[in-house]
Amino acid sequence: MKVIIGSGVVLALLAILPSIQYVLAAGDSTGEYLDRRVEIWGLFYRLMIVAFTVGTVVSGLIVWLVLRFRESNPKAKPTSYEESGSW
Amino acid sequence: MRNQGRGKMSGHSTWPEWVYVGVVVALLCYVGAEAWNIERIIEHVPEDAELIKVEGQQWLWTFEHEDGTKEIGELHLEKGKAYRFEVTSKDVIHSFNIHDYTVLMDAVPGRINHVWFSPNVAGEFDIQCREYCGLIHYNMRGTLIVEDKGA
Amino acid sequence: MVLELQKPRPIWQIMFSTHHTDVGLLYLITSLAFMFMGGALALLLRVELFSPGVQLIADSMTYNRIFTVHGTTLIFLFILPSASAFGNYLVPIMVRYKDMAYPKLNAIAFWMIPPAGALIWLGFADFTWYAYPTYSVISAPGPAADMWIFGLKILGVSSILGSINFVVTIMKCKHPDLPLSKMPLLAWAYLSSSLITLVAVPTFAAALLMLLTDRLGASGFFNPVMGGDPIAYQHLFWFTFHPEVYILVIPAIGFMYEIFPRFSRKPIFSHSSGVAAFTLLTIVGFASWAHHMYATGMSFTEKTVFMVGTLAAVPASAMHTFNFLATMWGGRIKFATPIMWAVGGIALFFSAGAGGVVNSAMPLDFITHDSYWVVGHFHLFVMGTILFGTVGFIYYMFPYVTGRMYNETMGKIHFILSFVGTVLVFFTQHILGLFGMPRRIYDYPAIPEWVQMNIIISIGAFIIGIGMAIFLGNLIWSSAKGKPADMDDPFGLGGKYYFPYQAKNPSH
Repeated sequence: MKVIIGSGVVLALLAILPSIQYVLAAGDSTGEYLDRRVEIWGLFYRLMIVAFTVGTVVSGLIVWLVLRFRESNPKAKPTSYEESGSW
Repeated sequence: MRNQGRGKMSGHSTWPEWVYVGVVVALLCYVGAEAWNIERIIEHVPEDAELIKVEGQQWLWTFEHEDGTKEIGELHLEKGKAYRFEVTSKDVIHSFNIHDYTVLMDAVPGRINHVWFSPNVAGEFDIQCREYCGLIHYNMRGTLIVEDKGA
Repeated sequence: MVLELQKPRPIWQIMFSTHHTDVGLLYLITSLAFMFMGGALALLLRVELFSPGVQLIADSMTYNRIFTVHGTTLIFLFILPSASAFGNYLVPIMVRYKDMAYPKLNAIAFWMIPPAGALIWLGFADFTWYAYPTYSVISAPGPAADMWIFGLKILGVSSILGSINFVVTIMKCKHPDLPLSKMPLLAWAYLSSSLITLVAVPTFAAALLMLLTDRLGASGFFNPVMGGDPIAYQHLFWFTFHPEVYILVIPAIGFMYEIFPRFSRKPIFSHSSGVAAFTLLTIVGFASWAHHMYATGMSFTEKTVFMVGTLAAVPASAMHTFNFLATMWGGRIKFATPIMWAVGGIALFFSAGAGGVVNSAMPLDFITHDSYWVVGHFHLFVMGTILFGTVGFIYYMFPYVTGRMYNETMGKIHFILSFVGTVLVFFTQHILGLFGMPRRIYDYPAIPEWVQMNIIISIGAFIIGIGMAIFLGNLIWSSAKGKPADMDDPFGLGGKYYFPYQAKNPSH
């Protein structure tokens, strides 16, 4: 639960901060144009944070599942389907 | 074919999967909203942007400034000014790309595409072709030279 | 029981057969042959790209031809036929019918593939597997270009005929006691991909015909000089080929729906979720095609629409991932070769999908369009997910087809080499694209980062190559001299190896 709220706050910040900066920043006068590189790469880094966070969770889960439920794990026990004979 | 029993065909509780799908959809909405916003911001062309006509052909780039000056393979621009490009092609599809300034737009024969930027760092930068156009696509390169004002 | 290679049969009997197991075997051998051929072409490319300057390939046109045939071969002559191979073996069994709905049509659909493959390989066109006009109309050398067009035309017809067969077999020949909702998910995968094929492929057939008449000068659909629009081709092409990528991946996901439950020794977590995910993807997959065209000068609104369509297809794939992981949870998993490939495939599927979500953000296209990021991204799907799922399933089906076991140690070594190689090559290519290296280039300037990354990528490619050589050896040696398998439970899992209703090949 905390994780969900925490990540929601992070996402909201990631979304709001650039917009605030844009609104407060200068407009289209000579010499103060928008730098497209900064905007585009900024978006890229924000999306990378999301992708790598989700990626860490998913890959971590896969590694844990593979280690915990392999048949050679000391804690391994037959599945309920094997026990009931329906496997 | 009737549904035997409501919603539990898998025999398992379904709420973890619904929460998971909810989280995925929320993240996707975030991605979509951010992307929409940034695209909206960068597509706004300043009114005083100077026009540069870019024409690609097999296998070189030619440029024409507002005052009629033509350049081949090299483009000289002034730091701090806004420029908008009208990109087209003489023959096959090419793609005009200044990677260091994230400028990229297809050069399509029979069509004029628009992209704008403002170079804020002086120096020399590579121009590449980013759409396969045949034998010398790999070497259809140019140079952008950004000079300080008054140079 | 189907034991193709234990009992020697005259080759002509298999070649002229219309029985689904024989046609499946023909598809399998053909697709594997093209897999090795297409992969070998990739190794040639990677030798050339090892560093700037000429390494192996003397001129850029040869290089361009090689990458065109590499892509064309692996998509149309490996992935699609290998899906058809296992579909032919298993769909009739899964719906409890004696054969495919139209056995003779089935054989005809297979036999279109070798001539089409010959046209593509003898022609060796250079215009990339997209064949975009106006290059393909006014500049691409013939007869290679025209042979490619005819080859693909034939393959398109073959696909459509095969898909009709799958759809009719599943929908009309299914046993009356088997409701669709209880049909195995692998059969659902074939139903899904066949339905997508029937809707998507005819569009490309039209585009190919138009391209051909344009090349002959008889029309100007895509040639602005004659009043046409080259972008129209791209819409037609991607309207087919975005759904096509789902046609490619859905059978591999279906293979994983077989492997995960069996090796985890428990049923799939949620059959209905799998059905829902396949159905959702089949429909929503048609809504995203022009995300391939963000750089062509589309308007802001158009780009937004296609971004939304792209993102909408993600939850379906997320559901499959959830299903596989939830199936492993609580299982007692035997990590034999097939499930190692499936787990590796799912991990890479996720990273490919994450890259895809990033790609759908329109502004990022200015960085990544037609760069090595794109190459890395789609290879994580075709190699990381589809090839891993398919190869895992080949190992799983090996006893079924040959009656023998493959060498387990070599299978695991093949997996490790392929996984390490895939990560080295395709993750690095993402970064290389961010540094600006375009795709489809024969040579590149000596930018230090590009040089370093290209070396890493080429080394990774050769690691994959060694793994594939081991695979080829394992396949051939074990088919002839492998230990006879226990056909009830070749992997020692405790459950039934295959569906209780077995096929009877009349020639056995």
